[in-house]
Amino acid sequence: MRYVYKALLALFIPFTGMAQDDLMDLLDEGETTEVVDATFKGTRLINMQTNETPAPGVLQFMFLHRFGAINDDFLYNFFGLDNAIVRLGLDYAFNDWLNVGIGRSSNNKTTDGFVKAKLLRQKRGTDAFPVSVTWYSAGFLSMDRNRNFDLTSDRLTYVHQLIIARKMNKSISLMLTPSVVHFNLTREAAQPNTVGVLAMGGRFKINQRIAITAEYAPQLVNPNFRTGSEGQRIDYQNGLSIGVDIETGGHVFQLHLTNSRSIIDPDWMAGAATGNWLDGDIYFGFNISRVFTVKEPKRPED
Amino acid sequence: MKRQSFMWTIMLYLFIGAGTLFAQKYITREATIAFYGETALETIDPISNQGSSVIDIENKALAYQVQMKSFRFRKALMEEHFNENYVESETYPKAVFRGQFTEDIDLNTTAEQTITVKGNMNLHGVDRALETTCVIKVNEDGTLELKSEFQLKPKDFDIHIPSAVRNKIAETFDVTVKGTYKPVN
Repeated sequence: MRYVYKALLALFIPFTGMAQDDLMDLLDEGETTEVVDATFKGTRLINMQTNETPAPGVLQFMFLHRFGAINDDFLYNFFGLDNAIVRLGLDYAFNDWLNVGIGRSSNNKTTDGFVKAKLLRQKRGTDAFPVSVTWYSAGFLSMDRNRNFDLTSDRLTYVHQLIIARKMNKSISLMLTPSVVHFNLTREAAQPNTVGVLAMGGRFKINQRIAITAEYAPQLVNPNFRTGSEGQRIDYQNGLSIGVDIETGGHVFQLHLTNSRSIIDPDWMAGAATGNWLDGDIYFGFNISRVFTVKEPKRPED
Repeated sequence: MKRQSFMWTIMLYLFIGAGTLFAQKYITREATIAFYGETALETIDPISNQGSSVIDIENKALAYQVQMKSFRFRKALMEEHFNENYVESETYPKAVFRGQFTEDIDLNTTAEQTITVKGNMNLHGVDRALETTCVIKVNEDGTLELKSEFQLKPKDFDIHIPSAVRNKIAETFDVTVKGTYKPVN
């Protein structure tokens, strides 16, 4: 008889022991879909745009700075620090997918405006999607007095991009950006008005606050030199840059070395003014971003 | 006589067993969890309304969990830093508390009852013992309200705060959890 009791007892005891696990099972929501965020720290990688836009209701001030060539009269120009060009920009995110901005660069005295929209997002979970796709279009108006523009429209240049990005894991993010650059008026007659560029970039996070970045933007044109108006050969370079992202509180500092002194997209992507890394034609530069919360994010009621 | 006592015992076990199986449990998936930390430079006060929790009246157990990414901050960048740099939400997506209490909860009164819950908090992959009092109130409509306040220190959960922002982030955060629970059928 006694073993029957024991058996019965043994049968019922587990219910109490399992109570805690049962509770957790009750809370289990199963697998859900999660949007992947923070693919990159900033809205720019170095010269390239990333798939990121500021958070809804956030106004971003960006200060971009490129110094003169490091190898240009080394000490006299203090490694290029004496000659700098800048771009000041303001952009605002109306919601979680639309970002509009304006900027001014001392490079060709250019005023620019852009629209950036998140079309598709990378997702994890039941409804997974491998990449995020962001559209970016910008127009650039040169106010330069020293160039002969017959028409106002000659001063305009456009860039259109489809930014395909993927956060591979928490430290590595990559992006591939097919782009089209169109010059209404080129500097040299032999330079094509429209240039395709297949830009690519990535970041590697060293720790939570520091990341190494790199980007390369090959131009899809042949041959790899252009003929100037007097028949001279003009070599050009594809934009190649490496940098480091440092994040502190409300700022992101991006320090980099690049072969392009121009900051505005058409010039660094398809301009003839880029230097050769092998010749030491490299420029030190930095991007600083500061964000201001204009509209507070929606919060649940307390 | 012997046979009869055996039957009684079986009845008793069935009764207790059934009681355990269909124990009175209350659940919520919309609990609010807010934390508050203030320094002279910055106030950090995010809130989530996606906490989920179960109270098992019979077994005197309480479980609580929240997705770290469900916290909403007043500044979006703060939220990103919280997830990316501090609690590392991708690696440790949720905070989980499991605890036990010793007091009986009387479901037949609408007066406030206080219980002391002792248990384990898992946050940022670190386990820490936590003891807190909860105020429970049974409503007329059969729902149950629970409220609790306690304090947490980022340091206890191996959340490293760099010296550059140490004067902006409080050492201790006041945590308030609130929820209205429905009986589980």
